[in-house]
Amino acid sequence: MCRMCDWLGEGQIWYKNPKLHANRMYKLREPGRKPQESLRGNIVGSNLHEALEAKANGDLATFNRLIAEKNAADARKVGAQPIPLNEAIEVIKTLQMPVAAMMCICRKATRAEEETNLNEYSCLALGTGMFKWERWPERYRGGVEFLKPQDACDWLEYWDKRGMMHLIMEEGNDFLGGICNCDYPDCNPIRQRVDYGLDQQLVKGEYICEVDFKRCNGCGECLGRCHFNALKFEVTIDRPSIDPMVCFGCALCQTACNRGAINLVPRSAYPALRNVW
Amino acid sequence: MNVVINPKITVDYERCTTPFDCKRCIRICPPAVFVVYDIESHRGYEVDKKQPGTYKMLPLYRDKCTGCMKCVEVCPVDALTVKMPEEMLT
Repeated sequence: MCRMCDWLGEGQIWYKNPKLHANRMYKLREPGRKPQESLRGNIVGSNLHEALEAKANGDLATFNRLIAEKNAADARKVGAQPIPLNEAIEVIKTLQMPVAAMMCICRKATRAEEETNLNEYSCLALGTGMFKWERWPERYRGGVEFLKPQDACDWLEYWDKRGMMHLIMEEGNDFLGGICNCDYPDCNPIRQRVDYGLDQQLVKGEYICEVDFKRCNGCGECLGRCHFNALKFEVTIDRPSIDPMVCFGCALCQTACNRGAINLVPRSAYPALRNVW
Repeated sequence: MNVVINPKITVDYERCTTPFDCKRCIRICPPAVFVVYDIESHRGYEVDKKQPGTYKMLPLYRDKCTGCMKCVEVCPVDALTVKMPEEMLT
């Protein structure tokens, strides 16, 4: 169980239990339930630019200190987490809340990608708050398109097919903000975790992917789907191998496999992985 | 492993005025060093990205630069310079 499950999940996977998000997702409040205490603590502004400058200048001590400060601040917040496609669909279907597709803010900055209509959008925003999107600042400039839950699931499948992994994000404390569909290096959380060690704003998923060597025929369909350098093709055994320590459990390799040869295993099933987040 | 890469990447903002519209260097860079951002945030509406001076380009991830010079070659207004440290050139 990750830190969000400890805080919000009451012993279960945090994003699976809609009641825990009811306080703010639906603008309802269960009788006797108070709003979630702020987990954020002091919000530390992003010093990433400063840290990267220090790294380029060879000042690794400053770089490490700034990254550690950012990580310590992020550790008090809810992080983004990769979820498998079927769980993303389950979240959309069980929460039964407004779902809207919109542009990706990371891609806009890193690839100057301008997404202006439903065929280009790659991000799902959730919750009643989306009804007010027009009043909100630059994040929503590309416009939003409200979707039926079934359509949103179809779009998720399409994005999965394109090779984009699904990240569940929070907005506020007990509020599922959206499901991003991302790839390396365009996605800021992925890139900053993989390249610069910001390991609290993006937390590893609840599962790891495991290859069933008997079912796998070594076709290689899954290659190129991993955004975290966990999946390699191992020539000696003619099978792909996934490093469980590196795997984030996004399950993109699983959805690419035609033979059902990649299984999702809960991280808690293996002693050494229980505390690897 | 810990090779310090400290290139001097300069952007002449008098020449590079519409990076969001042009985006040649952003798309060609193999390690995706550049990011674009809007200079002023306007609440609720988008500025015209073709209007000069609304967006700015920044070599944020310059520690990933390899000195391949693809961005310098592709720039239509010669606004970019990349200078790798002396010891890497010899």
